[in-house]
Amino acid sequence: MRCRECVEHLYEYLDREVTPDLEAEIRAHIQKCPPCSEHYDFETLFLKFVRVRCRAQGAPATLRRRILEQLLEE
Amino acid sequence: MTSTPPPASSNPPSPPARSPEERREGFEQEALVHLDALYRVALRLTANAADAEDLVQETMLRAYRSWDRYTPGTNAKGWLLTILRHLFINEYRRRSRHPETVDVDTIEPFALFQEVQEEDPQGAFFDKIVDDEVLRAVDQLPEAFREAVTLSDVEGLSYEEVAKVLDVPVGTVKSRLYRGRRLLQAKLYGYAVSMGYIKGQSTK
Repeated sequence: MRCRECVEHLYEYLDREVTPDLEAEIRAHIQKCPPCSEHYDFETLFLKFVRVRCRAQGAPATLRRRILEQLLEE
Repeated sequence: MTSTPPPASSNPPSPPARSPEERREGFEQEALVHLDALYRVALRLTANAADAEDLVQETMLRAYRSWDRYTPGTNAKGWLLTILRHLFINEYRRRSRHPETVDVDTIEPFALFQEVQEEDPQGAFFDKIVDDEVLRAVDQLPEAFREAVTLSDVEGLSYEEVAKVLDVPVGTVKSRLYRGRRLLQAKLYGYAVSMGYIKGQSTK
C-alpha cells in the first residue's frame, strides 16, 4: 500500500468502516510508515477533540422534567 | 409433513398488552436515556436553545405516542433522531435563523495535518481552543455536513445509522463526513491562527 491510498481511506479506517482486508493493509502500512503514523495520530486526536468538546453540553434539567410531566399526562 | 395454515386474517401478532406504567417505564429506560444526544443534535440544527427544547419535547411526545411501533432492543437512538430530523425539516427549518454558513464551493481542499505538520504535528493547539469556539465552527458548516458530523463524530452513529437517519446512501454519508471534517478543520485552523495559537503558513 502507498501513502496516498492510506490517507484516502484514513477516515474510514478510523471510523472502523473498512473491510477486514483493507483494515489489515492500512494497519500494516501505518506501522512501518512514520509520516502516515503521525497523520493517523493527528486525525485520531482531532476526532476525539470534536467528540469531547461538542458533548460537554447536555439537556437542561428543566427540559427533562417537562417531558416527564408530559408523559404522565398522556 | 403438515404445517399449520396461517389464520384467515393474517394480522401481525400484536405485542403483549402493556400497562400504562410499563409503557412509560420502558420509554424512560430506552428512549429518555438519549435526551442529551437529542438535545445536542437539536441545538446544532436550530441554533437556538428555546427551539431546540421545543423540538426535543415534541420529538419525545411523538415517539411516546408511537412507542408501540418501536421494537424493544433495536436502535432507539436512531429511531428518535429520525423523528427529530423530520420534525425539524417540516416545522422548524423554515423559521430557524441559523447563522450564515460557509459556501462549500469557495473552500479550497484543506487538510489540517498538512498545515500544522511542521509546527505542531501533535495538535497541542487543540487544547487552547475553547468549547464554544468548536461549537461555533460546527454551526458554520452547511447543514448537510453539520448533520453528518454531529451524528457521526459527536453522537457516535455508524455510517449506516447516519445514512438511515438522513435517508441518503452510505456513500453520501462518507463524502459528507470527509468534506465536513475538512471544512471544520479549516475553520478551526483559521481561528487558531487568528488567536496566535499557531503561526500558520505565511503564504497569504
